[in-house]
Amino acid sequence: MSRLACGSRRDTLMLMKNRLFALLIALCAASAAAWAHHSFAAEFDGAKTITLEGTLTKLEWANPHIWLYLDVKDATGTVAKWQCEGGAPNGLTRNGWSRDSLKTGDQVTIEGWLAKDGSRTCNARSVKLPDGRRIFAGSSNPDAKQ
Amino acid sequence: MHCLKILPVAAALAIGAFGQGGFKPPTGPAPRTADGKPDLSGVWQRPYVPDMTKSGPNQQGMAELPFTAWGADQWKNYHAEEGDYAGACLPFGLPRSINSPEPMQLMQSAKYVSLMFEQNTWYHVFPIDGRAHRDQLPTWFGDSVGHWEGDTLVVDTVNFNGKTRLDTIGHPHSDQLHMIQRFSRTDLGHMAYEVTIDDPKTFTKPWKNTRTFTLRPDWELMEYSCEENNKSLWEGRIKVPKY
Repeated sequence: MSRLACGSRRDTLMLMKNRLFALLIALCAASAAAWAHHSFAAEFDGAKTITLEGTLTKLEWANPHIWLYLDVKDATGTVAKWQCEGGAPNGLTRNGWSRDSLKTGDQVTIEGWLAKDGSRTCNARSVKLPDGRRIFAGSSNPDAKQ
Repeated sequence: MHCLKILPVAAALAIGAFGQGGFKPPTGPAPRTADGKPDLSGVWQRPYVPDMTKSGPNQQGMAELPFTAWGADQWKNYHAEEGDYAGACLPFGLPRSINSPEPMQLMQSAKYVSLMFEQNTWYHVFPIDGRAHRDQLPTWFGDSVGHWEGDTLVVDTVNFNGKTRLDTIGHPHSDQLHMIQRFSRTDLGHMAYEVTIDDPKTFTKPWKNTRTFTLRPDWELMEYSCEENNKSLWEGRIKVPKY
């Protein structure tokens, strides 16, 4: 009896979960598809994802894409310098970003895709802010969703 | 207890936005100009269409493109990493500009319409008084002329240089492209848009996309310099195509 009750509750919660996911997906589709002035495939590999945690050293707020620069430490403390492309400032502005959204010294986590040329370059799908929010960064990957 | 953990997990997977949302387009009848024509003016939010075969919100695509042998070969052998003209900041051309993600302002007089694309701060101006196409060298955006069919503005464009692509993913066209666009303002806040791609070298028959544009009176166009910080080109990750 208790298992049945738990099952019903689980079904209800699963239904709620599915509805929440549907709502989130709908919100994503409405507010931010990918933006691009160029072909994502010209520069990046959609099969090679990467997550970078590091310290923001510079934000370039200029068209056609913003660029985020960060220092990433490995387990031995060695610092590697990375650069990641975001969306166009215009589209990001209309999505609530500003050039003051991130500051030098911020600890951020960037999820994205690696450049094809093997350099420490990525296309940013999202940026996790110091306050824990994960914000869509305007990726040019047509498969990118919030 | 573990049942209760599902919702926070689902929420944590989402990626949010800083702001926006809550916009509702204005309501009311489609406005008219002093001479009684539909007034198509305004800043329009268009669906970003990186792939014209796909459908999505406010966009009905053409799932299977009717390629000729030449067109299929062009598509099969296109590799953006070998040359990406848009990434190199060369002109998008008319088909890809109308597919671009940034907004467009349409300005209209009795004789001319100008499509002001925020994407790379390009514009395309053409007569709408029924005159014929000009005889001139082919161009990136082609030569457009417009005329009214009832309340629909029909824009006919030919004389493309063939150096552009239809969309971001790179569907091809040739210099024989003939593009027909139909703009119909259905009410104050919306425009019905239809684009027909007629290119006998690339496709066996004409095909089209249909879209809905939304008026954004809360937006103004912003400057967009493609060349300002095009690091990807300067650092060699994007290459200029060889024409």
